[in-house]
Amino acid sequence: MSSRDLASRSQPSPAQLADVLERVLDKGIVIAGDIKINLLDIELLTVKLRLLIASADKAREMGIDWWEGDAFLSRRAEGGGKGALEQRLRRLESAAGLDDEKADEDAT
Amino acid sequence: MTATSTATGWYVYGVVDPAACELATPLGVGGGTSAQLVEHGSLAAIVSRVALDEFDEAALRERLNERAWLEANALAHEEVLRAFAEVTAVVPLRFGTVYRELANVGELLDERSDELHASLARVRGRVELGVKAWVDRERLESAQPGRAATGTSATSTGRSYLEQRLHERDAAADAAELCAGIVHDAHERLLRLAVDGVVNRAQPRELTGRPEQMALNAAYLVAATDQARLAAEVARLDDETRALGITFELTGPWPAHNFVSGEEGRP
Repeated sequence: MSSRDLASRSQPSPAQLADVLERVLDKGIVIAGDIKINLLDIELLTVKLRLLIASADKAREMGIDWWEGDAFLSRRAEGGGKGALEQRLRRLESAAGLDDEKADEDAT
Repeated sequence: MTATSTATGWYVYGVVDPAACELATPLGVGGGTSAQLVEHGSLAAIVSRVALDEFDEAALRERLNERAWLEANALAHEEVLRAFAEVTAVVPLRFGTVYRELANVGELLDERSDELHASLARVRGRVELGVKAWVDRERLESAQPGRAATGTSATSTGRSYLEQRLHERDAAADAAELCAGIVHDAHERLLRLAVDGVVNRAQPRELTGRPEQMALNAAYLVAATDQARLAAEVARLDDETRALGITFELTGPWPAHNFVSGEEGRP
């Protein structure tokens, strides 16, 4: 495999576009210019973009919690060694409102 | 820019050394003018003129929700940064920084001078590379040693049905654990070749449009001269895990979006 060259940007693939949006809308130095915009104002756009830029809490309110199934981040959030079943149990517990602290520890 | 557009403002893409050579810049956001450098003291901002009827607060609030507009302008923003990043160190700004007066851009460079200089020093001579891991869950589950087909012998009793379900659940859990371990180790290995690294949230399938699940969405800041080494390591990782249904993919080089001090809590 080689570096996926982004040079031919005229027709970006969905994956490339996702990478660009992720970086341009969510990373980089934040400077409040004279024009105040809030990228969280992006409401009507597809849920796809919402998923990218919504804060974790806001997304959770919307019932969007795909990253909690993210093996890497779940593992980190759990501190490493615990089993996936235990993680699943925690997720179920938190969904049932039995454990309201643990669920907030994932990455933002 | 039409003759009828009234007020204009200045869109800021990023910050560079003033010594950065002028280059034939691509068109900027707003489908408008080419990007240019505005020097102020020991820093320079990459800017282009935009019509405020497209980029003022009210207009932006509307436009941000037009998918085609947002995509085109996010790509234009990136395109400008990339053009500069090919020839000099660039500190990327997040999308949507607009000033009414050029003088205000100068003030920004003054006010955030220390931070911007620190960020420039951090990215100078370095590039950001993206690495993603994708997992084909079914393949991973079936590829696990000792997890060969458990036989679909008639599950006549409730007990054997439950055992079967339990077995499937164990296989899925083991696969998730295995995958987590693999991407964790991969990240550690790639970090050794990088100045820094960050793991971002995995992008959802709706966004990637791919059948596999994204298991790792990482970015690494590497010396420009080490790009090939990191690329080779990604290829090695891919070779090692492909049979398990886990593939690794490299993107970039990117402007160092992930490695400039942005806001608190960010690297």
